[in-house]
Amino acid sequence: MTAAPPDGWVPVEHRLFGFDRRRFRPALFVLGVALVLIYGTQALNAVIPWNDPTRAGDVLDLGDGATAVPPVGWQLEDGALVGAGNSGTSPTSSSITLAKAGAVIHLQGARFDGSASAFLDQVASVSDRTSAVSGQRTSYTTAAGLVGVVESESGPSGDGLRAAFKLATGTDADAAPALLVVVRTAPGQFERYRDQIDALLSSITPEAAR
Amino acid sequence: MSGAQLSAIEESGWGTPYRFVQLTNPAFWVYLIGVGAGAVGLFKFFAPAVGPYSAALTSGIVLFAIYLGPWLLLLRHHNRYTAQPGGLLATGFVWGGVAATFWIALPANDALLEVWSKVLGPATASDWGAGLTAPINEEWSKGLGLILLIGLAPRLVRSAYDGFIIGAYIGLGFQVFEDVLYVYNNATSTFGADQLSSTLSVFALRGVAGIVSHALFSAIFCAGVMWVLGRVPEDRKFGRGVLACLVAMFFHFSWDDAGALAGGVDWLAVVLPWLVLLPVELAVLFFVLRHAATTERGWTRALLEPEVAAGVVDADLLTAVSGLRRDRKRYRKHLGSRRRARHLIEAAGDLAHEIATARGEDTPRVQHARAELLRLREA
Repeated sequence: MTAAPPDGWVPVEHRLFGFDRRRFRPALFVLGVALVLIYGTQALNAVIPWNDPTRAGDVLDLGDGATAVPPVGWQLEDGALVGAGNSGTSPTSSSITLAKAGAVIHLQGARFDGSASAFLDQVASVSDRTSAVSGQRTSYTTAAGLVGVVESESGPSGDGLRAAFKLATGTDADAAPALLVVVRTAPGQFERYRDQIDALLSSITPEAAR
Repeated sequence: MSGAQLSAIEESGWGTPYRFVQLTNPAFWVYLIGVGAGAVGLFKFFAPAVGPYSAALTSGIVLFAIYLGPWLLLLRHHNRYTAQPGGLLATGFVWGGVAATFWIALPANDALLEVWSKVLGPATASDWGAGLTAPINEEWSKGLGLILLIGLAPRLVRSAYDGFIIGAYIGLGFQVFEDVLYVYNNATSTFGADQLSSTLSVFALRGVAGIVSHALFSAIFCAGVMWVLGRVPEDRKFGRGVLACLVAMFFHFSWDDAGALAGGVDWLAVVLPWLVLLPVELAVLFFVLRHAATTERGWTRALLEPEVAAGVVDADLLTAVSGLRRDRKRYRKHLGSRRRARHLIEAAGDLAHEIATARGEDTPRVQHARAELLRLREA
């Protein structure tokens, strides 16, 4: 009876550059499928263009009846429109992303007990803003009467602003869900979109005001 | 040694030692690439959490590490026939937690979710995207770990039961690491406010949902992969294997998209996952487990049959140790002692494994296992 070969011994007829070529099949299969999953999906994503522009009359669903009106002609990359299917959007987890040329607007709902200003402080406490210079924080009142806070920021990678609102007015405001609006634009582009951003902020409406 | 015994020893690979470091094996290097790239991805993902989200991250790691304990005990209990080496199972667990999650699934999911958003529109993608993405990227990324383990331990990974057990470990690794990822994501959704409470809510939800999550999906999927590959002749069942893989993917889809499947009806969104999907998935899991174990049970029987003739094992014990749950239950009733039945079944299992490890030789370990069984029978 032949003794079992020592650990790791590969018979000469199975060697290829010192490797055991009987094990190439599973190894290459795994490597191939993994690369297809990782890079194939990314390549597919890269070749499919965005084609979901916002149209006149569109209304963004912020959950539980809260809404905002997006600027026309921006790509809706993430988020739901009012009346567009069963979005199940919650005001404490809503996420909407609008993009156009060098500008991105992101609206993010969150649970937060406290004022809009305290919420913006909380956001700032976990954000890396070392590369940006912040402007003065100011109050902002929407057309529906929501009182929020806004601060602009500017850095080498571009300009933008952060705005925070509580989705209720009066005494209910502190316990209501919070909404963060973050705008980022390429350097020198912010002024171009200022009116559209202002209109979007002004259009934010809580459920009670509908 | 009988022909059936010899065949069982050859086919099962029981007792074959497992060695992780295999420098001449390409599968070893692909494993290192996957886990290495996954570790880099993991570091990049969690690095921003250190500092602002460290309370959530630390409590999440501690809670889910504790949560892992009962799972490992449960899987050890079900690893009754093959007794796969701990090193092999740990290799699968790490693949599931690091490579499958952070090397493959995370970037692939991001890209595919965006594809759905572009093709179906953001609202539809929000409803259905998770269920259309995860069953493809995640079940395959975990299944690849099983293929690599076949390359690393071809004699040890043979039957559908091996696939079932190893798949459960790979899935458990994926599940626990993903749970910590969810803890971090949930803390970021509130911008770090009240992090401990955020972690506890994720722990409660994901902990309960974990009963029918990645470990279950992967156990079924990987049993299916082994049936497709048919690495022992009697275990090649191509149609059944494909069906098992598709069922695992469907379960993953239905769990991820339960809200959309409920069509916006709130009570249905609660009832569907917990009162419909959960019992169906557990029933299918045990159905697959039962069928996956058929080959292993045959090997156990073949290894111990000569011991019946020698009077070491009696017919009832042979049926119990190589049988199903109902056979073990019947044996317990027959003996009238749960404890004694458990000891005898475990001792008979030990003897089968020692015979396989000794490749049929009458080594001191085989003699000891036999003596132990006789001692217990006479007690």
